[in-house]
Amino acid sequence: MTRGQRRVHALVWPLLALVLAGVVLSALSERARVAAAAAAVLEAA
Amino acid sequence: MAAGYVIVGWNRFKRAYDGVLLAGLAAFLAAHAGAGILLAPAGQHPSEVQLLIRASGAAAFSLLTIILCIGPLARLTPRVLPVLYNRRHLGVACFAAALVHGGLVVLWYHGFSEVNAFVSLLISNPRYGSFGGFPFESLGALALLILFVMAATSHDFWNHVLGPRLWKWIHMSVYAAYGLLVGHVMLGAVQGEKGLAQAALAGGSALLVAGLHIVAGQLERRRDRAVDGPPEGEGWLDAGPAEAIPDGRAVILVPPMGERIAVFRDGAKVYAVANACRHQGGPLGEGRILDGCIVCPWHGFQYRPEDGCSPPPFTEKIPTYRTRITGGWVFVEPSPQPPGTPIAPSIAGEAG
Repeated sequence: MTRGQRRVHALVWPLLALVLAGVVLSALSERARVAAAAAAVLEAA
Repeated sequence: MAAGYVIVGWNRFKRAYDGVLLAGLAAFLAAHAGAGILLAPAGQHPSEVQLLIRASGAAAFSLLTIILCIGPLARLTPRVLPVLYNRRHLGVACFAAALVHGGLVVLWYHGFSEVNAFVSLLISNPRYGSFGGFPFESLGALALLILFVMAATSHDFWNHVLGPRLWKWIHMSVYAAYGLLVGHVMLGAVQGEKGLAQAALAGGSALLVAGLHIVAGQLERRRDRAVDGPPEGEGWLDAGPAEAIPDGRAVILVPPMGERIAVFRDGAKVYAVANACRHQGGPLGEGRILDGCIVCPWHGFQYRPEDGCSPPPFTEKIPTYRTRITGGWVFVEPSPQPPGTPIAPSIAGEAG
């Protein structure tokens, strides 16, 4: 790889890791929120 | 190498590679579908099409995860290089699995829609402003489009037509495709499953891929910052004693500006050429000299060390560098000569 490509790799992956971690954690949190809401609805019924 | 193209330049290793790949893919699909049947709640068995949709999607995601691990692993250990050699076949297999997945989804869930099935895929869930209810199918469709472009341009013909640099930039869009696929899985399959198995697998895969790239990237950046020098005399780079370069191998220099340089020793002769292969930028200095030619460790491209030209009938050329030996010590002029320029080797052992 060229020097420029190596530089892009070194910059992009930490950013991409943050984005991926954000997506994963947000999706899990959303999943837990929906499950809690569904449980509350069931309990109320 | 550019001397007439065939669809696949088959050899024994590629046949074995593809045999293992196809057998592994078939076993994965069968195991995934079998698990889908065994683990389904009583009375809720998915249809064969649904099983194939899930298995092909999981296969595409797993293949892309493996593909993305190969590059950084090959930087960390040369034992992974044989897998790197035919990585593009893995990429085409990944696209094929993703195409089966996407095609079946369009037919199964949108084939009977009143609007065009592809339009239906994108507008049936209009909650683009929501996170939890985001139409994850659109993320998968965009990733499939990127995988298509990559599979369609994976052949060396396109590498030659587009040029190695543009080709590499296009193929680095695979990182965006992977990010889209992680989002596709986390906002799709993970939201609908009861357990956390898929979430753990997808999240763990993303963590592994990102972690390997960060580690390999930082190692390469550290190497780039450790400029070889200090420049001696007229600014020539110090490559160390000639006898410290293993016979048929190279040491790699990092000049203050420009690209890395591979300094090879072949017997008493010392040559310097650009470190990046014309094909996909493979590190020539980590290869060796076989039958008088430098062989790239990634895909076997060959160059003559004395002029940087591939042997006939091939036409690739890389820059060469002037060398000299003083007191047994090798020095390299940091500015490259135009690709294919003949340079007489320096001879180790001669009075300098």
